[in-house]
Amino acid sequence: MSADPQVTAAARRGWWLSAPALVLLAVGATGPLLIMLVYSFLEPGQYGNVEWALSFKAWFNVVMQRDIFDGTLTFADAHLSIFWRSAKLALLTTLFAFLTGFPTAWFIATRSPGLRTALLFLITIPFWTNLLIRTFAINQIIRNEGFLNTFLLWTGIIDTPIVMLYTDFAVFIGMTYVYLPLMVLPLFAAIDRFDMRLLQAGYDLYASRWQLLRHVIVPVVKPGIISGSILVFIPALGAYVTPRILGGGRNMMIGNFIELQFGQGRNWPLGAALSVVLLVVVSLALIVYTRFATGSEGKSHG
Amino acid sequence: MPEDTAVEVRDARKVYGQGAGAVTALDGVSLGIRKSEFFTLLGPSGCGKTTLLKLIAGFESPTTGQILLHGSDITFDPPNLRPVNTVFQSYALFPHLSVADNIGFGLKMQGRPKSEISETVTRMLALVRLDAMADRKPGQLSGGQQQRVALARALAPSPKVLLLDEPLSALDLQLRKEMQIELKRLQIETGITFVFVTHDQEEALTMSDRIGVMQSGHLLQVGDPRTIYTRPANRFVASFIGESNFLTGTVDGNVFTLDAGPRMEVGQTDGAPATGKVTAAIRPEQIRITSATLGDGIPATVTQTVYFGTDTHCRVALADGTEITVRLQSPASGDVGLHPGSEVTLKFEPGALILLPKAA
Repeated sequence: MSADPQVTAAARRGWWLSAPALVLLAVGATGPLLIMLVYSFLEPGQYGNVEWALSFKAWFNVVMQRDIFDGTLTFADAHLSIFWRSAKLALLTTLFAFLTGFPTAWFIATRSPGLRTALLFLITIPFWTNLLIRTFAINQIIRNEGFLNTFLLWTGIIDTPIVMLYTDFAVFIGMTYVYLPLMVLPLFAAIDRFDMRLLQAGYDLYASRWQLLRHVIVPVVKPGIISGSILVFIPALGAYVTPRILGGGRNMMIGNFIELQFGQGRNWPLGAALSVVLLVVVSLALIVYTRFATGSEGKSHG
Repeated sequence: MPEDTAVEVRDARKVYGQGAGAVTALDGVSLGIRKSEFFTLLGPSGCGKTTLLKLIAGFESPTTGQILLHGSDITFDPPNLRPVNTVFQSYALFPHLSVADNIGFGLKMQGRPKSEISETVTRMLALVRLDAMADRKPGQLSGGQQQRVALARALAPSPKVLLLDEPLSALDLQLRKEMQIELKRLQIETGITFVFVTHDQEEALTMSDRIGVMQSGHLLQVGDPRTIYTRPANRFVASFIGESNFLTGTVDGNVFTLDAGPRMEVGQTDGAPATGKVTAAIRPEQIRITSATLGDGIPATVTQTVYFGTDTHCRVALADGTEITVRLQSPASGDVGLHPGSEVTLKFEPGALILLPKAA
């Protein structure tokens, strides 16, 4: 596709019309990040906030910790385990959202136009309700006296309630529920563009159903899989509300830990440093993932 | 069943839908396609030719009837278990795979060893003259090149039968002519049975060993191009393949009396009633025009002449008002010397008149 160079040039000359939006974006997007970066090199204030004095203590504390009683330095394995739990839960959520979202998106994309619109509408309905309320609803379902346990007890399948609330499992279920639409919508867009005649061609060329999925469908709708995974993984990694309500205090994720530093912890520089680490980790993960997932095709499709 | 039959279709019926809304796409078609022949299914859109192709490919199964491939019943085998490949009208190339990987797809799915796949792909690329394009993506190729990739992809697994579903319809005229020759060459070189579906009678006549003419779910006539053209089985075949003039009259033995008056001897009468009212067909290029005064023949009056370059089409009216078309080769001057109102006599060989069976 080559656009008329003159038309493109004319459109480019009008860039200054976008200036207000560009300024807003520059200030709104990079401003807070810069503040975070600066704060991470300052001393914590006694009652929160920061002291304007250069310090690398926050960065040091990201990886090492000093024992409050004997003052010995040890590796900050608590931070690492929180990071690891966050990454693990975010990955699991992404994977499970894909496994359930793909058949859903496929089902919707292969319905009649009228039904398709109705189903897409249903997918977006959860967005109408506050995240907090939806998360509390999950809480109601999985707590010990919740709907699920009550039902299972009533049927006699179990005789003591299964403890689900305040476990990693609860956080995982909650996040999958919350982020599933973000997986379904890009997948739907990709499957909707998929030429179903390719299935006939593949089937004709000796591919079994499984081979069709692996060698035809998945590679062709890969852009949708990539954007869906990114849309789920990033907010899941930094999730705050869901782990707070469903994970309790014990199953913290990195988002909760950062919040802790700015709240009760009164260590803003450490919170800022952890935020920057999270940002870098996410960016690196994204770069690696898109490189890996697009492979050689990324070059030819731009 | 004869030894040399590649595909046998036994009394295949295909009905879509149920009850009042049911549509019969195929109405009891029986057909034998020989090994290594270029067989064309020809007919207007909606005649059932594509449905028949789908039954052979396995994308559909017949409501009743049987499909046999090299003697074994494949009626209900899924497409991936039939040694039959299709060249699709839309090509349906895999956009994420290179030309080479597209061609090797079938072999890869069959689990053939890598060395065999790359060897076959190289051979196929040479066969369709796309050696330089092996690493391109289908999106980077022209329509004609995509067409050749689709062909190579379907030929690579050496199918027992290659099905072609109007593969040339998306190409422009020049390219279509080239691909017609190319297809014929590929068929002869590979020796694979080709079943070609088209609505283009010229394509069918130039490429096929045999043609099956279809209409409204029925197979009307099967024969080699010459037979189909010179001895059409009925009025539909006579008018769908080439142009025909239709004359009505009565027949008695081998004497045909035109409703317009003149009587003449006819050659072939098989299939037609021996006596009574019949319709006869005659090709526009089989009629000669002479000046009005010359002896026997059919008197007529010129109503219109249209110059086509190599030919001049001349519309003439018989005594009873029947209009027929005569195709004359244009002389060097370009002027056939006939004008509306000219009185002429039409003549033709006895064998040129085809008596059609009553049913049509």
